Amino acid sequence: MIPESLRHELQQRVAQAVTPREAAVDVLKELQAHYGWLSDEAVVEAAAILGLTPLQVEELATFYEMIYRRPVGRTVVHVCDSISCWAMGGETLLSQLEQRLGIMAGGTTADGALTLLPCSCLGNCGDGPALMVSEQLHGPVTLDSALKILGRF
Amino acid sequence: MPKLIIDNIAVEVPDGTSVLEAALSVGITIPHFCWHPALGKAGACRVCAVKILEGPVKGIQMSCMLPAQDGMVVSTGDGEAVALRKSVIEWLMINHPHDCPVCDEGGECQLQDFTIAGGHGIRRYDGKKRTHVNQYLGELIEHEMNRCIQCYRCARFYQEYAGGTDFGVLGRADMVYFGRQCDGPLESPFSGNLVDICPTGVFTDRTARFRARYWDYDMAPSLCPHCSLGCNTIPAARYRELLKVMARRNDAVNGWFICDRGRFGNAAVNAPRRPRQPLVDRQPVGWDQALDTLLGRLSEFLELHGPGSLAIVGSPRMSLEGNIMAARLRDLLGAGTICYFGSSKQSEPALEAANSLTPDTAASQADVRSADLIAIVGCDLLEQAPMMALAVRQAWRNGARIYAVDCDQTTSLYAGEVAPALSALPFSEAKQPVIIYGTDHKQPDSSDDAVRSGTKLAFILNGPNDFGCALLAREQGAVPLADALAGGKIKGLLSFEADLTTELPDAVRVLAACDWQPTQLMQRAEVALPATAWIEMEGTFVNNEGRAQRFRQVMPPGLPIRGLGPDGHPPREFRKTAPGSDILPGWRLIADIIERLEGERVDVPLSGRWQKLQGINAEDAGESVL
Repeated sequence: MIPESLRHELQQRVAQAVTPREAAVDVLKELQAHYGWLSDEAVVEAAAILGLTPLQVEELATFYEMIYRRPVGRTVVHVCDSISCWAMGGETLLSQLEQRLGIMAGGTTADGALTLLPCSCLGNCGDGPALMVSEQLHGPVTLDSALKILGRF
Repeated sequence: MPKLIIDNIAVEVPDGTSVLEAALSVGITIPHFCWHPALGKAGACRVCAVKILEGPVKGIQMSCMLPAQDGMVVSTGDGEAVALRKSVIEWLMINHPHDCPVCDEGGECQLQDFTIAGGHGIRRYDGKKRTHVNQYLGELIEHEMNRCIQCYRCARFYQEYAGGTDFGVLGRADMVYFGRQCDGPLESPFSGNLVDICPTGVFTDRTARFRARYWDYDMAPSLCPHCSLGCNTIPAARYRELLKVMARRNDAVNGWFICDRGRFGNAAVNAPRRPRQPLVDRQPVGWDQALDTLLGRLSEFLELHGPGSLAIVGSPRMSLEGNIMAARLRDLLGAGTICYFGSSKQSEPALEAANSLTPDTAASQADVRSADLIAIVGCDLLEQAPMMALAVRQAWRNGARIYAVDCDQTTSLYAGEVAPALSALPFSEAKQPVIIYGTDHKQPDSSDDAVRSGTKLAFILNGPNDFGCALLAREQGAVPLADALAGGKIKGLLSFEADLTTELPDAVRVLAACDWQPTQLMQRAEVALPATAWIEMEGTFVNNEGRAQRFRQVMPPGLPIRGLGPDGHPPREFRKTAPGSDILPGWRLIADIIERLEGERVDVPLSGRWQKLQGINAEDAGESVL
């Protein structure tokens, strides 16, 4: 259950949008910030706030890769796997991060601190290989600089 | 009107036609998955590649996405195009399981056909395949996502065409999933069309699962008997058992689709309780004995009570042929009463339709789909005629204004406004207005006549042959059965596929009843005569717009093999025909009774004013009786 104040604020935001769908991603992100991830409960709540069916919310939620439909760690690391970053060694970066963090891509460290996710283009092609940590873009990174950013060096 | 050349054939097509459709119009089929005539293009599958040799664009193009333009020279068989299509099919097949032998779609699978046609016969990919977890989508549709080739037809049909909100596309990229948010029955009353529209076996008919292959089916063009719209179907049967029903294209009527009631609501055909044996006073007898007893009792009855106390009862469930023969039997016996409807509540809408419609004003489902203003009067469309609601949705999607008069219009299919009266609607601004009257609407008053001029009309009726029965009722001076019984004169009934709407007084004898369903009248009947269901015979229904359509025999009548336990096993004796196969269509049975009375053979029910319906081809659009 989300607090009544948050529900009220989101309902107002939806009311101000031209169509409810326009506000959908905002609502999903707020609910995700509240729960830490977009839980099944949150999908149903979002649907009620937006006047959509749970399926219609799920279609959006599963399309955007920064909406997490499974529990994630406190910090999420997105490593770009698109072509420019790949050409600059993104693939190696991801596998080295997997090794050093001791998790597979998609996994979360045992202490629940970090989740490592490959993602498609971050729009940082000029500075590949790129990664994004807590909505902060970094690039070009090496294994060392990446671990420094993550505080794991 | 662009003119182009496709494979050396000159083609002229209307503006906006795609190259793929232009090719189809001259009989050249270009492989396609995502494109569907009713849904349009999506550009999702890439398998309709052709090479444009000359014209405004050149080289390999997707023919479904490319509008035909003047001066184009198109080659569908160019080596480069063929090679690309072959590769595309190989890509589509990479994740597709090799489960054709255990897949219900096998034999009726577009993917199978185009894979073979594209020349991809040997799999080179030996890596792991993408797999999915299937969902439970209810008792009617089986889900097998691993077979999916991401053509998006299902989601486009379900959401865009049919207005469903509980099924769609989840995920992205190489993990696209077509399903619901969680397990559960599909909510749309049109969900069964996913089975027809899926080019492979992601959605298959669960009710016919693992029962037969396409080449084993008994199939024929048929009609749906569940409401008055007369949607076209292809029932598939095997071993005298109806397995499933598929939609059949008729652009003037149902288009490409049917509703779930028509597809999944046919269990009565295979029901073990179906009458299959003539009975006299509930005792099994042979056909000759049953008919002799009937004639004997009938002549005693007529002698005792006079023909005025006999009612012949036809029915909108019965074919036009049967109802015409019922009228002839009435004439022959001089019976005082003939009934075609159970009550005036059923007969009035049908008579109003028969009296109001003309060839210029009758609105088909196609007219409704292309209307720009629709008034729905006193009608719960989704309940009374689901496909008409789907037709209204198509008009609404194209910008038509929808108004509801004297009824509630809360549906996810279209957004309508509630209007106080027809006279308040802006008919004069509309180019193609249609009024749809439901069975509950009030009689139109004189102000309605004004708006009805220049407007097409559709009447939603009750049964598959309501309109035909209304024409006969008008001609024969028929009265509804309930009214006839209330008059108190009727002492005996001969009933043909009729249903009771009121209590039948104990004093009224049911001399004989003929039906393929175990109705109340069949149970009361002194002589009970089993008849064939519509899919076991050829016949004619006249739909709500006065369109006579032919249905052909799909399967021979008889006891289905399925469901026969050791107890129900037919006699172990050598015979050339299947048990229960000696039943006749209702009209043929009445003709037999007439022959026994008159001594002359009766073979042609559609004679006189009905003669023009003799030549209807079941695969054509039908023939107007207006």
